[in-house]
Amino acid sequence: MAARPKIPFHWSFLLVAALIPLVELILPGEHHIGDLLRPIFIMALLGLGLNILTGFTGILNLGVAAFMAVGAYSYAILTCDIYPFRLGFWCATLVTVLVGLAVGFFLGLPTIRLRGDYLAIVTLAFGEIVEDVLKNLDSITKGTEGINPLPAPSVFGYQFRPETYQPWYYLFLGFLALVVLINRNLHRSRIGRAWISIREDELASSCMGINPMKAKLLAFALGAAQCSLAGALWASYLGSSGEPGNYDFQVSIIALCMVIVGGMGNIGGVLLGALVITGFNSIVLETLTDFLKAHQLISSSNVFTAPGNWKYMLYGLALILMMRFRPEGLLPSRQLKAELHHQEPPVPPAS
Amino acid sequence: MSILEISKLTVRFGGLTAVNSVSLDIPTNEIVSVIGPNGAGKTTLFNAVTGIHEPTSGTIRFDGRETRRPFRTSTALTLALVGLIAALSFILIVNIEPLWDATITSNYVYQQPFPWTKALSSAVGFFSGQTGGRLLLPFLIGGILGLAGALAIWFRNRYAPEVAARAGIARTFQNIRLFNQMSALDNVLLGMDSRLQTRFWHAALRLPLFWRERRDAEQRAMEILRFVRLDSEAHQLAENLAYGHQRRLEIARALAVQPRLLLLDEPAAGMNPAEARDLMNLIHEIRDRGITVLLIEHHMPVVMGISDRIAVLDHGEKIAEGTPAEVRSNVRVVEAYLGKDHEDAAAT
Repeated sequence: MAARPKIPFHWSFLLVAALIPLVELILPGEHHIGDLLRPIFIMALLGLGLNILTGFTGILNLGVAAFMAVGAYSYAILTCDIYPFRLGFWCATLVTVLVGLAVGFFLGLPTIRLRGDYLAIVTLAFGEIVEDVLKNLDSITKGTEGINPLPAPSVFGYQFRPETYQPWYYLFLGFLALVVLINRNLHRSRIGRAWISIREDELASSCMGINPMKAKLLAFALGAAQCSLAGALWASYLGSSGEPGNYDFQVSIIALCMVIVGGMGNIGGVLLGALVITGFNSIVLETLTDFLKAHQLISSSNVFTAPGNWKYMLYGLALILMMRFRPEGLLPSRQLKAELHHQEPPVPPAS
Repeated sequence: MSILEISKLTVRFGGLTAVNSVSLDIPTNEIVSVIGPNGAGKTTLFNAVTGIHEPTSGTIRFDGRETRRPFRTSTALTLALVGLIAALSFILIVNIEPLWDATITSNYVYQQPFPWTKALSSAVGFFSGQTGGRLLLPFLIGGILGLAGALAIWFRNRYAPEVAARAGIARTFQNIRLFNQMSALDNVLLGMDSRLQTRFWHAALRLPLFWRERRDAEQRAMEILRFVRLDSEAHQLAENLAYGHQRRLEIARALAVQPRLLLLDEPAAGMNPAEARDLMNLIHEIRDRGITVLLIEHHMPVVMGISDRIAVLDHGEKIAEGTPAEVRSNVRVVEAYLGKDHEDAAAT
């Protein structure tokens, strides 16, 4: 076994992220890497929520975008001024997390007994249902327009402004650090141990006194709560609930990509996955497009030449390559690596 | 005094009767073996005792009580609550848009303080103005659906392994089912799980109880590992342990459940004579700790050497029971193992 690094990846990731805006301030010239990192933090939260389900407990969930939509719309309804609630940032975020918790719980209650693929299909259907409901519940969700504008959050008396990105940056980073801390604590406690034992062998686990339904339900509710937190922050970042189409199946798949590419069951891996997948989309592809346009290598009339239009194909390709060459992800958890590169178990001598 | 009383237990899978009307009493603090040819129903018997299979008929009493989820007042309340929530959410789903219009939209003037009490009375007015079709019908449908669903889930979950485990029945498996990618120590800690008090908040926020209990639990787990002589392998992944060690680790994990009855499914399978002797000593030590042991075994020297009593199954039925000496001389047992024609063949 290789010596483990002294500082786990997720802490170094958060530390470096915390320093980036400061470095940008010191360096001369215009930089906006920190600006581009904000959506990555939110997507990382989504990935961490999914990681509890898929990475720790082994439940495939194809509908996390729906939880994110629930979060975004709850936050929007609670803060916007066309409805009477008009809660402050903290209060609205807290209520949103509780709503996500309840939605995950009540979705899990009747369905959690389904195994593997069947549960994945249920979550897929749930994602579609939520999107359709949001589109058609015109009088509350404003249909395809979405609820906007939302007031910018005001935290401890400080009013956030769209022009300065640093306060947003640290707000999102703070939430991310909090969720990372909670997930790490749970992972290394009896709760995480029970989740992993269910992933490995549900029957043996229940024979040792674990109630798999309870453990899975907790994972479901908690994953949903984190995804809806991501939704709330996303809504506050956009200043709008976004339209229902923003939370479609592709978002769920991107979240799944982040978890798989980064390393299932490993918190640091999910952060890296979010950085690679979302960063690829919003930094590499954008820069490439700008570069190509500047040198007049592509024309806007031909859609095939714009790199941005190839992104889903590239995601798919990345997924295929990962599955073939590195199924445990870029930064695997020690356990899962062993699981996927499974050696034959010791064979009992013939008796 | 028997710790486990199995009476007239029948387990049927479709047309196949795996266990047929078997009655068996396991006296407290003895070592009892169940033997029989392959396919005799031994493992099915174990699975029924540990709640994996639901008995088709017959009862299993552990310590005088049936090993299934009891129907308590709290169960009834939970079921009623689920039904009620389902009923109310159905009403809400059916009426959500007009209700929203009546309470929120019509009372709210842009950026003016919201009259909450007025909104509440509009809500009451809205519901009292509704016909039964929008109120009673969804309430009934939702309530019945929720209650029936909750009841079905509860009913199908009555016999569950975790119920038996929490009552005090722990087991090992015929083909080792360790959590391969967890360390030996974690495997034992997982067995201890149902005896821990840490809850979600303690674990998430690392409250003092978490630290205290983690230290105590790890200490106890190390003691159990020492007991099965695996303490030097505590931090190895279960998968990397030698085969005999994996068998012992499975026993350690079961012991961590703090059982009063330990079920061992072929613990000596694949062991050499020296390892089998160690295992016999270990089983004796477990019994001396006050734990009743029920085991399935094919390894005759082990069975004859440690059992206080032996029960013999064949084709799902119990054909003999008694001390090792009695069973050895039983004609039906010899028949079951060697075939009916054996003595004729030997005579000619």
